[in-house]
Amino acid sequence: MLTIRENLLETIKGGNPDRFVKQYEFLEIIDKVPIKRIKPKPGEEIKNEWGITFKWPKGQLGDFPVHDEEHIVLKDVREWKKYVKAPSVIFSEEEWQVAVKHAESVNRKEKFVTGFVAPGLFEMTHHLMRMENALMNYYEEPEKMHELLDYLMEYELKYAEQLIKYLKPDAIFHHDDWGSQTSTFISPKMFEEFFVPRYKKIYKYYKDNGVELIVHHCDSYAATLVPYMIEMGIDIWQGTMSTNNTPELIDKYGGQISFMGDIDSGVVDFPDWTPENTAKYVEESCRRCGKLYYIPCLTQGGDYSSFEGVYENASEEIDKMSKVMF
Amino acid sequence: MSKIQEVKVNVEEGKTKIVPSLVQEVLDEGEKAEDILEVMIKAMNVVGDRFSAGEIFVPEMLLAAKAMASGVEILKPHLTGEGSSSLGTCIIGTVLGDLHDIGKNLVAMMIESVGFNVIDLGVDVPKEKFIDAVKENDDVKLVACSALLTTTMPALKETVKALKESDLTGFKVIVGGAPITNEFAMEIGADGYSSDAGSAATKAKELVKELAIA
Repeated sequence: MLTIRENLLETIKGGNPDRFVKQYEFLEIIDKVPIKRIKPKPGEEIKNEWGITFKWPKGQLGDFPVHDEEHIVLKDVREWKKYVKAPSVIFSEEEWQVAVKHAESVNRKEKFVTGFVAPGLFEMTHHLMRMENALMNYYEEPEKMHELLDYLMEYELKYAEQLIKYLKPDAIFHHDDWGSQTSTFISPKMFEEFFVPRYKKIYKYYKDNGVELIVHHCDSYAATLVPYMIEMGIDIWQGTMSTNNTPELIDKYGGQISFMGDIDSGVVDFPDWTPENTAKYVEESCRRCGKLYYIPCLTQGGDYSSFEGVYENASEEIDKMSKVMF
Repeated sequence: MSKIQEVKVNVEEGKTKIVPSLVQEVLDEGEKAEDILEVMIKAMNVVGDRFSAGEIFVPEMLLAAKAMASGVEILKPHLTGEGSSSLGTCIIGTVLGDLHDIGKNLVAMMIESVGFNVIDLGVDVPKEKFIDAVKENDDVKLVACSALLTTTMPALKETVKALKESDLTGFKVIVGGAPITNEFAMEIGADGYSSDAGSAATKAKELVKELAIA
């Protein structure tokens, strides 16, 4: 039997995996890093390290940036230098101890020690200035958006330097949502101009410094961006929604990139979820996507579900499909 | 190309800096404000269709809506009746417990662009607030409710139920949002559903037409 790591590599390299990779099992995410990411708890409203206000309504699935006139950090992108101040990424060895110990405890022959990065460049722009303003600014103030994105990229590179220094990660799990269920937010051409060069630089930096695997989370439609994902150096696109026609993407791009998802969280992870429903969607995804270049997984961006038991149930169903299909 | 056609093309292309002066030129040439408005509404219909077809993306649609709004500002003093609204008032909001506003804002812009007077209640809107808005505003023909989470689908159901069970009449209810399907919309008693901002504007006009026939 292959180790989890070996099985993952066989899957994404088109070799001979002996079972399905089970969701996030290959990633050991080191989440207790000292570089602060202030987030609200359910029912709370907070201001994060960039000055962005986030609110988590009680009983709901997550937090949202608050973008009324009073709370928008960046009202005019021409003044971004005045309002956008990156937080420090420098912390003492002592402050890194918890994360370092976690990384050291991982058997790297079994799992990938994973650095976590969120939010990404696109999400940062709309968190700072509100989605509509960000999207129009790509047209109306392209030079200022390029400047702002350079600043955000430099922050990411400084963050990367610290992750590499302390954790020596084998993998990076990087969030940045680029679309809705059925479309990308911006055109592929605009994406190429604003994001491809910067992500190429970020992901190259990680790979030049020992990172073997880039896993990018984007739980939306992004099929038209896959050639760019490959160019950027992404190894696994996590969050591939079924609206992307995952089997078609596997046929077309398998070997250059792998796809992790296809089990849309929305159809299995809800208050009245049932194991039968989960089993149905897991089986459909496993059968249509096949054994290579595909990792069955909920599209959610982490090893959990919104409703207790769904993630674990999906893992059990993937095990069952491994027995049937391998 | 005639000047009025130029207005249409420039709205479609989101040329906010050009549209106001062009509209002024067309007005100066003697065209009726209502006719110019009609042309701009047609432009936004084209934009909505292109968006639904995946030919253009959110920024292009936003810029077209902005260009249209800049043209309407020039037209306003010349329009007879109240402002640019010809299809009635639309009350729009994201339901209680849901803070998503991007899709709702796009729908609001598109619905406004095709001739509705839009009252945006924002996000996290209790059902009572939707009902109060219908009572407090004139000529309400449409209520548009959005839910982006599986956990706020019950709030959407409650909102539609409350609107339908109120004594208020003369309007239709349209719903949308990522987890919403046409089947769910019909199940909870909504009059219409749309999957994106472009088709929402088309559906809104259809629903109001149905009202007129009824």
